[in-house]
Amino acid sequence: MVPDRSMSRRDFLRKSALISGALAAGLPEAVSLLHPRVAQAAIMGIGQELQDVLNEETVNRILQEALARGGDAADLFAEQRFRTSVVLDAGKIDSVTYGYPRGAGVRVVLRNQTGYAFSDELSYSSLLDAARVASGIVETQSRTSPIDVTRRTLEPPFTLASPEPLMVEATKLQILQRMDAAARAADPRIVSVRIEYTDEARDVLIGTSEGIYVLDRQYLTSISCSPTAQAGGKRGSGLATLGGRVDAGYFARVSPEDLAKAAALQAVRLLEAGSAPAGPMPVVVAPGWGGVLIHESLGHALEADGIRRGTSLLSGLAGTRVASPLVSVVDDARWPNGRGSYAVDDEGTQGQKTVVVDGGVLRSYLIDKQNGWLLTLKSTGNGRRMSYRNWPLPRMSNTYIDAGGSDPASLLNGITKGFYAAELGGGSVETTSGNFNFAVREGYWIENGKLTRPVRGAVLIGNSLQTMQRIEGIGTDLRVEQTRGACGKDGQMVPVGVGQPTVRFSSMTVGGPSI
Amino acid sequence: MPRQLAIDLAEKIRIQAERSGAQEAETYLESSTTTEVRLRQGQIELLQQSAVQGLGLRVFRDRHMGFLYTTDLRDSVLTELVNRTLALTNQATARDENRIAENLSVSQSDLEINDPALGQLRTEDLVTMARAAEQSAFAQDGRIQTTRDVRCGVSVAEIAFSNTYIARQTYKAGVVWLSATPIATAGTQKREGTYIDRKRFLSDLARPEQVGQLAVSRALTRLGAATVPSARVPVVLSAEAASTFLRGLFQAFSALNVIEQRSFLSGKLGQQIASPLLTIIDDGTMRRGLGSGYFDGEGVQSRRSVVVDRGVLRQYLHSGETARHMNTTPTGNGLRSYDTLPTIGPTNFYIDAGSKTHELVEETSNGLYVTGLAGFGMDTVSGEYSQQVDGQWIEKGVLTKPVEGVTIAGRLDEMLLGIDAVGRDLEFRDNVASPAIRFKELTVGGGV
Repeated sequence: MVPDRSMSRRDFLRKSALISGALAAGLPEAVSLLHPRVAQAAIMGIGQELQDVLNEETVNRILQEALARGGDAADLFAEQRFRTSVVLDAGKIDSVTYGYPRGAGVRVVLRNQTGYAFSDELSYSSLLDAARVASGIVETQSRTSPIDVTRRTLEPPFTLASPEPLMVEATKLQILQRMDAAARAADPRIVSVRIEYTDEARDVLIGTSEGIYVLDRQYLTSISCSPTAQAGGKRGSGLATLGGRVDAGYFARVSPEDLAKAAALQAVRLLEAGSAPAGPMPVVVAPGWGGVLIHESLGHALEADGIRRGTSLLSGLAGTRVASPLVSVVDDARWPNGRGSYAVDDEGTQGQKTVVVDGGVLRSYLIDKQNGWLLTLKSTGNGRRMSYRNWPLPRMSNTYIDAGGSDPASLLNGITKGFYAAELGGGSVETTSGNFNFAVREGYWIENGKLTRPVRGAVLIGNSLQTMQRIEGIGTDLRVEQTRGACGKDGQMVPVGVGQPTVRFSSMTVGGPSI
Repeated sequence: MPRQLAIDLAEKIRIQAERSGAQEAETYLESSTTTEVRLRQGQIELLQQSAVQGLGLRVFRDRHMGFLYTTDLRDSVLTELVNRTLALTNQATARDENRIAENLSVSQSDLEINDPALGQLRTEDLVTMARAAEQSAFAQDGRIQTTRDVRCGVSVAEIAFSNTYIARQTYKAGVVWLSATPIATAGTQKREGTYIDRKRFLSDLARPEQVGQLAVSRALTRLGAATVPSARVPVVLSAEAASTFLRGLFQAFSALNVIEQRSFLSGKLGQQIASPLLTIIDDGTMRRGLGSGYFDGEGVQSRRSVVVDRGVLRQYLHSGETARHMNTTPTGNGLRSYDTLPTIGPTNFYIDAGSKTHELVEETSNGLYVTGLAGFGMDTVSGEYSQQVDGQWIEKGVLTKPVEGVTIAGRLDEMLLGIDAVGRDLEFRDNVASPAIRFKELTVGGGV
């Protein structure tokens, strides 16, 4: 029996009663405005619909078929998602979408080889077909040992009181309208506001030839609000994000209006900001979302596929110094409410906290099952996939530079002329060379130890190992961003968290237009 | 579910939506099959085979819009989804634009996007092509000891579309691809190079030997790369880099962004926004084009649009909704998959070929030749531009040394006006393409 970690038993009963009561009363608005399948799923419990098709016995038979021609291991991954998205643009609710994708995939692994096939149709017969197709990778005819999966209990990474997706759609729309009004009221130069809302409940069922059978439900919500300011032929845009793996009460605890207003004021500030400088200089990066830096500079290069193939610049560097002794880096799939948090990864391994760099020394890679077998290392619970249509890859969960010992304000001391990266955008890296970049949305000059003039965006670049050696100060103010972060690799997007305290680099190249 | 059954079902659901209160409804059914092999060191690392079938339904009621998508095509589920989506439409704001796009598709000449040869390709054929590409890579140079992988794949999709006014329309489109990423090693330094070719017709695809060879030359060129001092100099973007640049620039031409003041090109229609050397075209009707189709995601017929004509901004690119808003005709750029609403995107979007061949580099006395662009530094709202690049330094018209660890930056409006050469080397290996272009002067941010 798996404890229903998404809501307390009492909440569950209350909600079920509410929904059934409403149904009896003739489908009033409150119920008709809820994702139809979410309501059902709430009543039926985690993964019930998946389990109806794929019980332990059917999973055994499918995996047996997958390994009929041989192979080291096989797994089955079934998934269904209930998604609601709303877009508000130009002051109007532009669209409301209900999504209900579901299906399952079968993987067969033989050493470094993978066969993968999936079906959008969740039926025993179509998955048997998928198993046969996936087994096409195997050329031997050796394996017939029986498979016997047993249901495992998952330890939740944190508890959600009442999951957010069970908010009725009318409430979601109100939040967006309040944010829109707040952003527009912030300044007359705000000419446009676009707000996107998405939530989903993702049910997964994983069965493996090692005997694992688990069910899980993962909630994720996000709002992004992007106001544009315009004046005197110049434009600037701001960004605020809300959400994470949060409960419905979250939107009462944070103030969506304040965040929308802050994004609007950011857009206005950018109208006045000067050009960013070009060239190397001391750089200080703000806490929280600034962690995109560690995600790009070291995170991707630690993923076990590149390590195993020898294509990552960190291949074979375990136990050696890869960063300044001040630096410790953690990947934590159990961070409360983190976008990258999960009880179980997408190949049935429990999500965990892994110290990857400790005092500058490389301690662990980020490992999935297959690459772990090939490297003779244990999975660190980092095997993730975008959906049932994809095979798992080693990926980050919530990755951050751990807190240091410096007072954040003191990190500006002694910098005569430097750059402060206040708000970051996205980044990318090439793990073979270690060359990485990340965009800065809003920056400031540092002059004589103080933040002075604001500057517009520019990209910051560096090489992983060099840049990590140049960290000369880390603040005590660790923050892990839970409201934004989607990481793309090999065409697969997954939600991730990133974080860091304030971090100071002796030198990094700033890519602005001003020399 | 068999294809014909699914198409009939989509039709049935649309009619059901109309009977349940939708004044207009539209279904978009996507069915596709894909096979890809990935090979490394002569061994198949991945064999993936998949069949996708998904349905998207858009409903309009009293100028309110609702949308649902699913891969679960069971009758009872669909009925429930349709009813709830209809109930939900009341929550959206009523807008005059919320209607089915006019200018619906009519038949047109063969676009040659469905090569029957693709259906005949077996997994073994893909493996053979991938293997030949990798062997060619290894044969080029002793410094190539490994590859990230070599990929060869084929995909055939069928789109079935219908709405309240037009009966079902279908078309099939295929694509085949081959890519190689060898890794060059010198001492402790490793650099990779990638070459990808994608084509509608198998007979147009680059030969595997060529793919391996071109990828290797890209990797080798990068060995020994170093940064340079910051400077303001002419910058040449190779055809590949210019294509990446153009893909980023597309958002500035999207009518939705223009209307909402989210483009630095808002309010510039009819003005000289770029050098007279620059002509930009979006053409959904290009024969064998990777972005070609008979109609877009809302049933609007594909067409050819001259977006920038010798530097003058002639038109923005539209979906049905933005065209109605700006009182113009839709351009067939409402692109989508079954699980997304139509969003303005590029069909075959390209900078037209100029007259220059090698002169772009030869005529440059001191500057940067960029072969790779990376990162998220293009802001089409504010017009600020800054990206990480690598390439080679140009001295007296000759490429002299590999460069990395540098950025290029400028303001997009000034950059476009400052283009002083356009190459002749336009080649389509994706739906966005450009010949090489040269910016008269940009800021190169170096690391020393």
